[in-house]
This record gives sequence, structure tokens and C-alpha cells, in this order.
Amino acid sequence: MRDENQLHAAVVELVALDNATIKYSTIQNWYPGDEEGRGGIYNFVTKRGKCLGKDSKISWTQVETGSAITWKYPGCILQGDNSIGEFYSVAVTNQRQQADTGTKMIHIGKNTRSTIVSKGISAGRGQNTYRGLVKILKGAEHARNYSQCDSMLIGDQCGAHTFPYIDVRNSTAIMEHEASTSKIGEDQIFYCKQRGLSAEDAVGMIVNGFCREVFKELPMEFAVEAQRLLGISLEGSVG
Amino acid sequence: MGERGRKHAMLEIKNLHASVEGREILRGVDLTVRAGEVHAIMGPNGSGKSTLAQVLGGHPAYTVAEGSVLFEGKDLLAMKPEDRAREGVFVAFQYPVAIRGITNAYFLRSAVNAIRKHRGEEELGPVEFMDRLEDKLRVIGWDSSYLSRPVNEGFSGGEKKRNEILQMAVLEPKLAILDETDSGLDIDALKTVAHTVDKLRRPDNATVLVTHYYRILTHIAPDFVHVLSDGRIVKSGGKDLALELEEKGYDWIREGAAVA
Repeated sequence: MRDENQLHAAVVELVALDNATIKYSTIQNWYPGDEEGRGGIYNFVTKRGKCLGKDSKISWTQVETGSAITWKYPGCILQGDNSIGEFYSVAVTNQRQQADTGTKMIHIGKNTRSTIVSKGISAGRGQNTYRGLVKILKGAEHARNYSQCDSMLIGDQCGAHTFPYIDVRNSTAIMEHEASTSKIGEDQIFYCKQRGLSAEDAVGMIVNGFCREVFKELPMEFAVEAQRLLGISLEGSVG
Repeated sequence: MGERGRKHAMLEIKNLHASVEGREILRGVDLTVRAGEVHAIMGPNGSGKSTLAQVLGGHPAYTVAEGSVLFEGKDLLAMKPEDRAREGVFVAFQYPVAIRGITNAYFLRSAVNAIRKHRGEEELGPVEFMDRLEDKLRVIGWDSSYLSRPVNEGFSGGEKKRNEILQMAVLEPKLAILDETDSGLDIDALKTVAHTVDKLRRPDNATVLVTHYYRILTHIAPDFVHVLSDGRIVKSGGKDLALELEEKGYDWIREGAAVA
């Protein structure tokens, strides 16, 4: 039988020269397919950035909600001294969706810094994977990385997976990695309901609060859009 | 009492049996609360006080096996928790949960608007809402910095309890059930909370205070005091009963109940 799924394969490349800042924000809401994921979009994306100049900065912000399968790892090569790489991500999977996403931060220059904040929300039978690499090369004196990977589970048939690869070749590096997994609590939802909110509004509020650190990085209009989209993506996930 | 008799019953609990995780906690509770009244429910640990509050709020972990609860003549147990809240039932929780990333102001406004919508009233915008909030903040002795903090996150035990009372002041329920709001409060916080509750008393609303201690009742004079023991109300009386409990403890009532 012929497969009805469609493919989206985009390539984005960024180069930041001396003192340049690039902020690249994406909200992805491709079609997830039917309840079984049939007909959904395969979203296989190449996104990479190079901080070539001194004091340059590249910041990726993404909200992934729609595709049947997402594979996407926007990365930063931090070549210029004092350059900065950032990755802020929210990925939501519901029904049969799969999102496998993360970043690569490759520290080459001196005093390079990177920040990774990833929020994965899994509902229905959705699977969410954070897969990331932080690599500190030999010459990257005083490199710093801060990573935070938070997963939220809604229901008992979804999954959250975290694969952080950390490769440090310079002893002056300072690395921080924090990870958490939480289940959206019955008590939290009940608390909201007891104040008059519907189940859907309660979930929407709790999830939006969970994603706040990423949403605040988005441009204003995007942030409003992202919050609404999250509500739509999670519709029907809580009885 | 004759005058009270004419007032309609706001809450009518009859023979309420409820269990959690297969254990029966409430074993036939009867209680009638009329508009304008304050009832104190006292009792030893594990007597079912908090269960009663949770069941009235509609917590999904509790199952009602028997009995009925009418609120303003409507079947409360048939209502979803959010509808109970919108109809005017408020539970101040013993252990309020935190909601990360959501400010107190946003949470409160969402709650107010959900209730207003239910009543067919227009929803309030952020500015309009803030205007109304200022008075309420003053009553509980808070400045507006608490509004921009995430709901209960990083709050001390006392701050969480005050926050519950702030929510109560803002939502203006018909029936407020305060589940051990007084425990874990220092004397000043207790006074503030008690005075706020007292200030919110009106002829058309009612309060049920679930408490361990006599202390809070020196600030809020209850019309009735009930003793809950082993899932039943075993003794009811006026304010004096609370004083008697303070002096004698609960054992004499339990023994009395066993004999009867």
C-alpha cells in the first residue's frame, strides 16, 4: 500500500560575524496525521549556526507541536572567542506523535558560553526525546554550558527520553546539567478546578507555566500564538 | 433559633459515607449549614475532617458510597468540581499546591473570570481586575509583589495559607470551607487570617472551619461547634463546646459516643 505521509526537509544555516547577534524563532505546527499518525508530516530538519566572529551570538528558539515525526537538532559552532550559543525548545507530542529534538553546542573559541533549555511535553501515546551534544574542544579555555531538560508526562501511555552527550576536553570548562521529569498531578488539576477552571484550562495553564522559560524568549506575537497552539495540541488529553 | 429556622439551608449533608483507597473514612455525617452561619468542625487526627472538605470540593480520589449533599437545594455530589466552585463553594486547602510559571495575578484573574462567565457576567481585563484586587490585598496585609510571584511556589507554609484566604476574598464564595487554615501559622498570621475571614462574613454567606485548635475560634466566633470522631459528628454545641474541648481533650467525647 502506498504511504500517505509527507516529508518536510528544510535546511537553515546561520553565520554570525564579529559582534553580530542572530535570533531564529520557529513555531512548527505541521499536520500530525490521524489518530494513528497516518498521513502526518515527517519533519526532518537541518539547522546549524556558526558563531564565526568574536562576541557573536546565535539563539535558536523553537516550539514544535504538529508533525507526526520531528527530527531536529539546531546547533551552534562557537568558534569566535566569547561567542554565545542558545537553544530554547518546547516540544509537544500527543496521540502517536514522536519528537526527537535537541541541539549541538560545539565550543572551539575561548570564553564561549552556551545555554540549553528544553521542555518536552508528552500526552496520549506521544514520545518525546531530548538528544543533545555539548562538546568542549581542547582550545576552548573557560567555556561554560548550562543545560536544563524538563519533561512533563500527561497520562500513562506516553514517554519521555533524555540523551545528553557531554564531551569535555578542557579542564577549565564549567558544565551544569539539570534534568527533571514530572507527571501532571491530579492534585494540581483539582486545585485549579476548585477555583472554577475547566480541566482543559487547568492543563493549559499548568503546561504553559511549565514552558514559561522558553516562551519568554519568543517575540511577543509568537508567544501568544505558542500558548494557544499548546492548548490545541493537548486538547482531549485529559478527561 | 426561631429566626434561624426561617433561613434556608445552604448546605445539607445527610448520612454521608465516603472512602479513599478503599478505606471508609466518613461513616454517616449529618450537617446543616444556613446562610450567615459559621460552623467549626473539630476532632482528633484521622477523624475525617479533611476528608469532609475534600469530598465537598469533589476531589476525584474520594468515593461517596452513600448519603446526599444539597447545596442551595442542588445535588452537589452530581456536580463537577469546577461547577461546584462556580456555584460558590470554596475550599481553602490544608496543603495548597504550587503552579510553576503562572503568576498569582494571572491565576486569580482566570478563576474570577471562569466564575463570572458561569454567572453570565462580563470577563474582567487585567487593569480592571487589578483595581479590584488592591483592596483585597490590603485586607490580608500583602503588597502587590505577591501577585507577580508564581502561585505558591517558594511560599512559606504561612504564605500559602494567606494566599488561600486572598483567593477566598477575591472569589467571594457563598460557602467557604477552610481546611485547617490555622495550622502552621504564627500568631500574627493567624490573626490576619482570622480577621479576614471574620470581615468576609455576610448574612448571605457561610463558613465551615475545619480545625484542630481552639485558638482560631477566639478570633472567629462560631455559631456552632461539631466534633467529628471516627467519621461521624458525635457532638454538637455552641462556642462553649470548643472551650470544653480545649480543656478536656477529645477522649471524653469518644468514650461517651461509645457508650451511647
